[in-house]
Amino acid sequence: MASSWQKQNQELKDARYELLAMTADRRGNLTTSWLDPAGGNHVFSNLKVSDGRFPSLAAALPEIAWDEREIHDLFGWIPMGHPDLRPLIRTPRWRQDFFPMMSPGQAATWLDVEPDLPARKVEGEGVTIMKVGPTHAGIIESGHFVFSLIGENILHLDAHLFQNHRGAEALLEEKPLQQVAPLVTRVCAADTVSNQANWALAVEQLAGFKQSPQLVHQRIILLEAERVLSHLNDLAQIPAGVGFQVAHQRALAMKELWQSSLKTLFGHRFLFDTVRPGWASSAPSDALLADLSELRSLWIPWRQLVSGHHGFIDRMQGVGATSLNQVMRLGAQGVAARAAGKEFDARQLLPWYSELFRGPLIQSSGDVQGRFRVRLDELEASLQMIEQAALELSRTNLQEQRFIPPVTLSGRVVTFTESPHGMNVHDVALEDGRVVRYHMRSATYRNWPLLAQAVAGNTVADFPLINKSFELCYSCTDR
Amino acid sequence: MAKSIKTLQIRHVDAGSCNGCEQELTALTSRDYDMQRYGLDIVASPRHADALLVTGPVTDTMALPLEKVWGAIAAPKVRIAFGDCAIGCGVFQQSYTSHGGLIDSDLEIPGCPPEPGPALAALRDWMGSHSRGKSAYLELGPVEIN
Ligand code: SF4
Repeated sequence: MASSWQKQNQELKDARYELLAMTADRRGNLTTSWLDPAGGNHVFSNLKVSDGRFPSLAAALPEIAWDEREIHDLFGWIPMGHPDLRPLIRTPRWRQDFFPMMSPGQAATWLDVEPDLPARKVEGEGVTIMKVGPTHAGIIESGHFVFSLIGENILHLDAHLFQNHRGAEALLEEKPLQQVAPLVTRVCAADTVSNQANWALAVEQLAGFKQSPQLVHQRIILLEAERVLSHLNDLAQIPAGVGFQVAHQRALAMKELWQSSLKTLFGHRFLFDTVRPGWASSAPSDALLADLSELRSLWIPWRQLVSGHHGFIDRMQGVGATSLNQVMRLGAQGVAARAAGKEFDARQLLPWYSELFRGPLIQSSGDVQGRFRVRLDELEASLQMIEQAALELSRTNLQEQRFIPPVTLSGRVVTFTESPHGMNVHDVALEDGRVVRYHMRSATYRNWPLLAQAVAGNTVADFPLINKSFELCYSCTDR
Repeated sequence: MAKSIKTLQIRHVDAGSCNGCEQELTALTSRDYDMQRYGLDIVASPRHADALLVTGPVTDTMALPLEKVWGAIAAPKVRIAFGDCAIGCGVFQQSYTSHGGLIDSDLEIPGCPPEPGPALAALRDWMGSHSRGKSAYLELGPVEIN
């Protein structure tokens, strides 16, 4: 059994399938779901945990290493042969016998010890250790980084995340359908529409609901509006990383403009609660188009400013470089992967995007500049898609589609969308109109290990710049 | 003397936020809201701060670091809960990692996330209606150096 599980998954990886998710449930069922990058078909591989153990896939498939550590922490199943089974989410403050996913609803009792876990460091002459976090000097999400340095250069980065772990998946269990969206919305502010859409798609697919072209266009507008917002934020942070304040402040001003548009048009500055099963928030097309052109009038000179500033470009080139090989090996996703030449964007596999999406935008350098440029191009493509979808909507008469999901809805489905950070996956199982298992796998989860590799060999002073060019959210990784 | 606080230097700690509250806090420092002009700023060290501002439901992993930061701020000092999660009415309240928000806060700024305009107004209102307490240094009296 063991070998066939390993063999099957290895074959899928070798055939360049994309890993959607590895999901465990309380009854000991393990499922890996893979996506065929050619046709979008899902392939599932299943295994039953026996004796609390299962054969690890991590040695052959490094992108699964974190998933298996997570399963170990939350369920207690042991991945046999895992190369690095340190706790990922678990902290020394949890009781040894506390496995939160085994008995949801159970309150934790915390032991009176420090939450920190032992770090992996480099030892030797001249090596110094620098610890940063979990609290930071600016307004940043919490994360704990242990750098091994030689002089100014980073030898190794051990990132200890999951300070923001809120146990969202356990909270979702047993929830009736109508209580899911508010929570899914708030897992991550940067990828909220993508998360909301995944939930909506899951319910619609299980209920056999067919989205009208209008609903599809409304959703594409929201998903792309979120990408514009998130890319503006990230594009603002990269110049900040090298002290290019003019570009930073002007990008923040564009972001503010866009957020106030979103508030007026859709009711929320981050688009919280704008997508539900069978529904999406919509705005009058002419108002949307007017706001779009106002944003463009700031965007065009800003793009010229950052593209023509040689000092800025010099500071980005060759910094935090990753190779396509590393990207493929670690199963990296999104902007970070496309910046190194991986031609993959989940939108290409979503049939409802087919009219508007023109294909992945890639670079080859894999460095800070590559990631910066992918975002520049993607933002412009998103503005175009919003425009086209808005024009499309203005030509049709809006008809509300009525959809009330059956109260006894049951089944299991894996849905995905391309969030601003990459392919975002939800694995949803329902029974009689209640959630029995909800697993969320954000793109950034796969990209953190790549970031650790990208910083090695760079000076420690460049870490903020490299980190900002990846702009991996913590909250949807930690959940 | 009229009650008011002229400046408030803030140290921010994320204790399990979804990053929405952080982004709105960042907006307060941008040129559109420019909170520095009202004597408000985010500072890099608790040693420079008068206030601790917390976002998120206070996850267990952040509970101790949070209190350490609080301990490193010199009195007089205040605790600010920013957003519904930190106030204790967010969606992650019941989670197995949640301490249920910030306890003993002096100022609560509601919203999910609080919008920058109202948040700035709340901070300024609070500053306008409070005076600084006695500093720990004054309470200690003169220090003998030998
Ligand atoms: S209050 Fe809302 S925006 Fe703030 S951290 Fe909580 S869920 Fe996120």
